[in-house]
Amino acid sequence: MAESDDELMQRFQKGDEDAFNSIVRRHHKPLVNFIARFIGDRDNAEDLAQDTFIRMFKAANRYKPGRAQFKTWMYFIAKNLCKNEIRNRGRRDRYRIDNVITSEQISGGNEDQIDLIATAPANAAFQPEVAIERKELLKATQEAIAELPEKYRFPLILRDIQGLSYHEISKILELPNGTTKSRINRARLMLKDKLKSFMELL
Amino acid sequence: MNCLQAKEYFSAHFEDTLDKQILHQLKSHMAECASCQKEYNLFQASVKATQQLPEIDPAPNFVPLLLQRISEETIKNIPFWQRVYDLFKIPKWAIGSVLILVLAGAGTFYYYDAIFNAETQSNDTIVYPDNISAKELQNVITDQFFPRGMEGSDLIGTNSNQPMQQQYILKRVSYTTPSLAGGL
Repeated sequence: MAESDDELMQRFQKGDEDAFNSIVRRHHKPLVNFIARFIGDRDNAEDLAQDTFIRMFKAANRYKPGRAQFKTWMYFIAKNLCKNEIRNRGRRDRYRIDNVITSEQISGGNEDQIDLIATAPANAAFQPEVAIERKELLKATQEAIAELPEKYRFPLILRDIQGLSYHEISKILELPNGTTKSRINRARLMLKDKLKSFMELL
Repeated sequence: MNCLQAKEYFSAHFEDTLDKQILHQLKSHMAECASCQKEYNLFQASVKATQQLPEIDPAPNFVPLLLQRISEETIKNIPFWQRVYDLFKIPKWAIGSVLILVLAGAGTFYYYDAIFNAETQSNDTIVYPDNISAKELQNVITDQFFPRGMEGSDLIGTNSNQPMQQQYILKRVSYTTPSLAGGL
């Protein structure tokens, strides 16, 4: 059975650096995803994710297992770094969506793979127009998320992309549970309004 | 329930966390309000689209780069006292070996220097009387190196027909013990 994050942190606090490496390997992908979805730039997201892990490494002795959940702590640090990053950026390049959307996997393959599949006549079950529609929908969704105000974007990403509980999101955002729930509902309604015109065409 | 109130419950309805009474009111409202039903359908679709956004794969060198940065940070952040303390973590046999080599080197140096001093400078000590004037001191030194009766042609290496040549006596000099006899 895999060790919990708290057990790994305890091992790390006792001087076992391999334990921290295990934590990095376990959490780097969701963390990069969270930051990339928030700031909209994959390269910067990787830098910020690295900064997050380094901050955690430096502050590891102050982490008290049981008092706070490891994931909550990690996202809390990442959220603050994202806020700083957004603040430091000019409005000009506030959100660079292309870097994220062109590099990610869609329908289990990358863009090139989709194009190859679309031109393959042998695969009768494959419907190119469905794949293109899906790709367009995902791109529109990502753009709609990017346009959300910061206070709605954070909880929406944490809930619908990262799959955290309302309680965890409340801890990360330092908000009451009720406020978190209403912000997520509000964010989803805003997203629905942004995607409305696109979805009605499908 | 009106349309505004219904929208407040969309998330809870989608996540199936509404209590029975409110769920019943919401369903009743949506059964009568085509607009709310349509809005809820769009709501569901947009949430599902968000949830299905594909994962972004970090670059393959993300973890190696991060671990390298961590090791660099670790070295940079070691305080001075910690570095001193870490010196004592060097194996005892290594420290012992270095100490033995240093002591052996120093011992050899001082031992040979003492033998050398004993050979070259044991008879060179000149005791000068106290409370002596400068003139008397000069006479004493002259007597020491040029004893009476050896003036003029009697001096080593000179004769009456040749100009006096100064005689230099090379002496081995200790590098550690000051010698009154001088080096030349």
